[in-house]
Amino acid sequence: MKESGAHGSPYLLIWIYLVVLALASVAASIVLPKVPAELAIYFLALVKAALVAMYFMHLKVERFFIHSLSLIPLALVLVLFLGVLQDVVFNR
Amino acid sequence: MSTAAHASAGAAESTPFPSAKLGIWWFLASEIMVFGGLIVSYLLFRMAGPGWSAELHHNSTLLGTVNTLILLTSSFTMVEVHRAHGRGEEAKFRLHLALTILLGLVFLAIKGAEYTAHIREGLVPAKSMFWAFYFGMTGLHGLHVLGGIVANACLYAVAARPGGVARYGHRAEMNGLYWHFVDVVWIFLFPLLYLG
Repeated sequence: MKESGAHGSPYLLIWIYLVVLALASVAASIVLPKVPAELAIYFLALVKAALVAMYFMHLKVERFFIHSLSLIPLALVLVLFLGVLQDVVFNR
Repeated sequence: MSTAAHASAGAAESTPFPSAKLGIWWFLASEIMVFGGLIVSYLLFRMAGPGWSAELHHNSTLLGTVNTLILLTSSFTMVEVHRAHGRGEEAKFRLHLALTILLGLVFLAIKGAEYTAHIREGLVPAKSMFWAFYFGMTGLHGLHVLGGIVANACLYAVAARPGGVARYGHRAEMNGLYWHFVDVVWIFLFPLLYLG
C-alpha cells in the first residue's frame, strides 16, 4: 500500500471503510427483510475480513506460500461445511 | 566457523521468510481450522433446526456494535505500531501499542458486562445449544484477545527500555498478524451472534 504522505496514514482510509461497513451491516439487519438482511450482513462481513487480511495483514503483498497457508485451511473448512450440509438438508 | 555452522547460516540465508513470520502463519492456519470448525458447526446446527431468532434477541446489538468498532479501531492502532517501527518513530510505536492494549481491555470489559447480564438472566451454556455455542465461541475468542493483550504488554515492556523499539520493534509484525486474525474472527462472530 502506498504511503499517503509524511503525516497521513495509508491505513486510515481502510479503517474508515471498515467502520462504514460495520455500521452498514447493522443498518441492513434493522431495515431489510430477514433473508436479504442475512445475505447482506454475511457479504459485508466477508468484505471486512478481506480488507483486514489484504491491508492490515499485508496479504496483498505477500508471496504465494503465505497465501496458501491461509487459503488451504479455509478450503478445508468449506469442505467440512459442504460435507455435512447435505446431511442437514436431506434429514430435516 | 565449522562446516555445520556454515550449513546452518547458508540455510537461514536461503529461507525466503523470517522464521517467526512463517511460524505465526502456520499457527494462524491451525487457528482458522479451530474457529472455522466452530462457526461451521454453529451454522449447521442453526440450519438443522427452526433457527435461534428468540435467543439472538437477548444479545444487545448496541454492545456488539460498540465492541466491533473497538476491535476494528484496535486493528488500526496495531498496524500503526508496525508502521511506526518501519519509520523509526519510537514515541508513536509506544503510543499506538498502549492504545491497542487499552482497546483490548475495554473489549473484554464490555464482554464481561454482557456475560454478567446473561448469567443473571439464567442464560448459561446448559440452557440451550445456542448459549453453549455463544459462550463457547465468544469465550474462546475472549481468551485469544487476552492472549493478544499479554503479548502486546510484553512487547510494550521491552520497547519501553532505552533502544527497545530498535531492538524488539520487529516483533510488532508478529503480534499484529495475531491481533488482526482475532479481529477477523470477531468480524464473523458479530453477525452470527448479534445480527443474524
